[in-house]
Amino acid sequence: MKKFVALMLAGAMIFSMAACGDSAVSGNAGAAAATGTESADAGTDAAATDAGTDTAAATGEGISVSIASEPASLDPALNSAVDGATMLVHLFSGLAKWEQKDDGTLELVPDCAEELVEGVENADGTVTYTYTLKDGLTWSDGQPVTAGDFLFAWNRAASVELGADYGYMFEVVDGYADIWADGATGDEKLNVEAPDDKTLVVTLTNAVPYWNELLAFPTYFPVREDVVANESWATDPSTYVNNGPYVMDSWEHNSVITLKKNDKFVDADTITMPQINFFLSDDANNMLTNFQNGDWQMIDDVPTNEIAQLKVDYPDEFKVEGQLGTYYVCWNINEDILPEGSGLSGVEAENARAEIRNAISLLFDRNYIVEEIGQAGQVPASSFVAMGLTDADGSEFYKNAGDNSGYIGYYNVDAAALQENFDKCIEVLKKYYDYDEATSQFTNFPSMTYLYNTSEGHKAIGEYLQSALSAVGITMNLENQEWNTFLETRKNGDYSIARNGWLADYNDPICFLDMWTTASGNNDVQFGRGDHEKTAAYDLDLTDLGYDTKVTGGTWADTYDVLINDIKSCTDTKTRYALMHKAEDLLMSTGAICPLYFYTDLYMIDKNLTGFFSNPLGYKYFMFCNY
Amino acid sequence: MNPKTIKYIIKRLILAVFTVWVVITLTFFIMHAVPGGPFMSEKAVSPAAQAALEAKYGLDKPLGVQYVTYLGDVIQLKLGPSLKQRGRMVIDIIGDGLKTSAKLGVIAAFLALAIGVVLGSVAALRRNTVLDRVIMIITTAFVSMPSFIVGSLLLVLFAIKFHVFPANGSTAAGLVLPVITLMLYPMSYITRLTRSSMLDVLGQDYIRTAKAKGVSKWRIIFVHALKNSLIPVITYFGPMLAYIVTGSLVVEQIFAVPGIGRAFVQSIINRDYTLIMGTTIVLATFIVIMNLVSDILYKVVDPRINLE
Repeated sequence: MKKFVALMLAGAMIFSMAACGDSAVSGNAGAAAATGTESADAGTDAAATDAGTDTAAATGEGISVSIASEPASLDPALNSAVDGATMLVHLFSGLAKWEQKDDGTLELVPDCAEELVEGVENADGTVTYTYTLKDGLTWSDGQPVTAGDFLFAWNRAASVELGADYGYMFEVVDGYADIWADGATGDEKLNVEAPDDKTLVVTLTNAVPYWNELLAFPTYFPVREDVVANESWATDPSTYVNNGPYVMDSWEHNSVITLKKNDKFVDADTITMPQINFFLSDDANNMLTNFQNGDWQMIDDVPTNEIAQLKVDYPDEFKVEGQLGTYYVCWNINEDILPEGSGLSGVEAENARAEIRNAISLLFDRNYIVEEIGQAGQVPASSFVAMGLTDADGSEFYKNAGDNSGYIGYYNVDAAALQENFDKCIEVLKKYYDYDEATSQFTNFPSMTYLYNTSEGHKAIGEYLQSALSAVGITMNLENQEWNTFLETRKNGDYSIARNGWLADYNDPICFLDMWTTASGNNDVQFGRGDHEKTAAYDLDLTDLGYDTKVTGGTWADTYDVLINDIKSCTDTKTRYALMHKAEDLLMSTGAICPLYFYTDLYMIDKNLTGFFSNPLGYKYFMFCNY
Repeated sequence: MNPKTIKYIIKRLILAVFTVWVVITLTFFIMHAVPGGPFMSEKAVSPAAQAALEAKYGLDKPLGVQYVTYLGDVIQLKLGPSLKQRGRMVIDIIGDGLKTSAKLGVIAAFLALAIGVVLGSVAALRRNTVLDRVIMIITTAFVSMPSFIVGSLLLVLFAIKFHVFPANGSTAAGLVLPVITLMLYPMSYITRLTRSSMLDVLGQDYIRTAKAKGVSKWRIIFVHALKNSLIPVITYFGPMLAYIVTGSLVVEQIFAVPGIGRAFVQSIINRDYTLIMGTTIVLATFIVIMNLVSDILYKVVDPRINLE
C-alpha cells in the first residue's frame, strides 16, 4: 500500500510538472499563431516537418532575419546598440532618415519634417533651426504626432534622470551643458521650443556639419509622454506606441520580434515589406545554420573560422561592407618602456617613449593580420580616424591624414614597405636598447603584457603581435580577461598595452578625436592623467588657421584639450577639418595609438532579397525589400 | 505520515531556507567583488550619468546597506527591475526563461523515464542476449557522450543535412532536437538503473515464491518486479529534473533556446546584479526543493530507510 501511495505521489508530482509544461506549450502556440506563421501551415502534412521554417517568407508575406540577440532596450532614448537601432529605424520616424538613391548611394532626407532646413545664425554664435512637421503624422495608436512630442523626447533623452548612454548626442544642442553642469538644479532644459503642434525650433551652440545625421539617429526619435510614463512601455507590444513604418506585433523575449507594416504610417504606400521577423540569436553558428537552411534570409554575423569557406560557397550571398571603425592597439602612456638606467626623465623620457612606440607600430604586418587572421576584407590602417569618414571637401578623411609623403596615413602599410619599415624600427630602437647583432635581438627591452578580451579572434591577433615582437627580442606576454572585467581594467589604466576598437556614432572625425581629452571616459591611454598630467612635451601652433594659440612645451591639457574645444566651437567647415587633422597628428605623434585595421561589416543575405541597404553606421534597412 | 516524518520535513525546510540564505549572501558579495559593473560599456557613459544611474538603483549606497535592503526585498518576494534590460522586471525575465526551460526539461525528463524504464526492463528480462548487449552498448555510449557533442551531431545531421528540424529552438518544432539531446543522458542512466534494479528484484525470494504459486509471467513482471525495481528510479527522478531544468545551459546555447540558463549566463556577463541574484535564488530554491522531495519520497517508498 505504501508503495502505491509513493507511486501516486510521484505521479502527482510528475503530472503537476507536465501541466505547467503544457501551459507553456499552448502559450507558445498562441504566439506563433499571432505572427501568422502557424496559420499558413494549417492543414498541410508538411506542417510537422516544416513548422520551423518560415512559411510567411515562403508565401511572400515577409522575411526572417537575425541581426543580434535580445536588444537591451527598444526605447529610442535608451538604445545604444547597432542592432537596436536597426529595429528602431523600422519602428520610428525622426525628423530625418537615411534613404538609398537609385545609384546606390545614401542620402539624408526629411522624414517627419517637411524639409531639412538650413540654420540661422544668431548674434551670439548659436544657430537656430525651425522645422515644420508633415501633415497626417500619427502614432500607432492613432493620436497625432506633435512637435511637443519631439520636445519632450529630446529633453528626456538628454536628462540626468534617464542617464542614457547616448544622452551626449545632444551635446551640440544649446542648454545641454547646463543640464549636466555641477550644481544643476534638475530644471534645466534643452533650448528647444514647440510654439505650436507643427513647429519645432531648436538652437545649437554652433553649427555642426553632422546635424542632419543626428536627426536620423534613434536618440532623436520622438516618444510620447503618457506612453513612456510606464517604465516598461518598450518591453511589450501591448504598450509599445511608435510612429514609424512598422508596428511591433509580438515580442517573444530572447526569441523573436515580429514587426508588421503600419497602415497608419504617412508614407505607408512606399513600404514594400509587409512583415519582418527579427530572430534573436547571439550564436553565429546557429545563425549560419538557419541561413543555410533557408529559414532566415539575412544574418548579420558569421563564425570567423567559416569565413574563408563561405566566400567560396556563397559568392552571391556573402557581403562585406565598410564600417566606420578602427581596430587598434593602445599603450598606457604612463607605462615605462625605457630600459633600466636610460638616464632619461620628464619630457625627454616621454619623447623617447613616443619615438619607441611609433617605431614598434612599424613592426607589424597589417596585411598579414587582415588576410590571414581577420579574413573579412578589413583594410590595413595607417591612421586612427577610420576609413569612410569624409573630409571638408567630400574626399575621404583618412586619405588626407599624415604628411602624405608617398603613402596614405602615418605609416606606409603597403606590403612592399615591410622591410623598409622593419629597418626603420630597428634603427630607432637601437638608439635606446642594447642590440645583439649576432642574434638580431634586443636584450634589455622590459617585458610587457598585452591585454585583450577573451575571444579567438583577438587572441590570434595578440599571438601575431607577440611573435612579431619576439622576433626582435621583445617579450610580450598575453593576458585575456572577460569582457566586463577587461573594460574596467583598461579604463582604469591597469595595463601596459591593450587591444582596443572604436566605432563612430556619426560621420564626423570628432567621434574619434574627442575621446582622447583628459577628462573623457574613453581615454584608455590615460592622456593627461597620472605622471602624464605634468609632462609638458607637446607643441601646438594654430596661428596659420587664424587662432592665437601657440604653445611650445605644453601639457596634454594645454594642447590637445584646447584643440578639441576649438574644434567643437569652430563654425567654418574648412578650418574645423584642418583642426581635426592637427588633432590626429598630435594624437599619432604620441605613438600611444597603433591602428591595425579598419573594421568591416560582414553579413549574408539571400540573393532573392532585393531593395536592401545598410548605412555607414551598420543599420540595416528592410522596409523597401522585396522577396 | 507519522510525527517523526513531519518533524523531519520541518527540519529540512528550515535547513533549506538557511541554504538559500547562504547562497544569496555568497552570491551577493562575490558578485560585487568581481570587477566591472552593470553600466560599463565600450563607450563609457559620463561620470555624471553613471552616478545618476547608480543613485537610481541604489548602487551608490555602502555594500552592507545594499545587502540588507536586498534581503528585505527578497523576503517580500521582490526581485526588482533588471539593470541592463531597462524597463523589464527580473521576475518576468526569469518567468520567461523558466517557462521555456521547464517545457524542455519536463518533456525530456518524461521521455527519458518512459523509454529508459522500458529499455531497462527489456534488457533485464533478456539478460545476456544480443538485445541486452546492444542496449547496454548504446546507453554506455550516451552516458559518456557530453551533450555538446550529441547536440552538435544532431544539429549537423537533422538541421543542416536533412533539413528535418529547424536549428533555432524558439519554435515548437525547434524543440525536438534539444529535447532529444537533453533526454539521452538521463534515458541511458535510467535504463541502466532499471536493468540492475530489475535484475536484483528478479533474484529476490518473493519473486520465486510468486513463481512457485503459479502467478503468470507478465503479472510477476508488471506487478511484483517492476514496481519495486522502480524505487531507485523514482528517487533519481527528482534531482534529475532539477538537473535538466537548470543544467541545460549547453543545450540551450547550441540550439539558441531562450531558456533560463542563457538568461543566467548573460546576466553574469552583463553584471546585471538584480538578475544574477534573482536567477541564483530561483535555481537554488528549485534544487533544494527537488532534493528535499526526493529524500522524502525515498523514505515513503522504502520504509526501511531511517530519515534521521
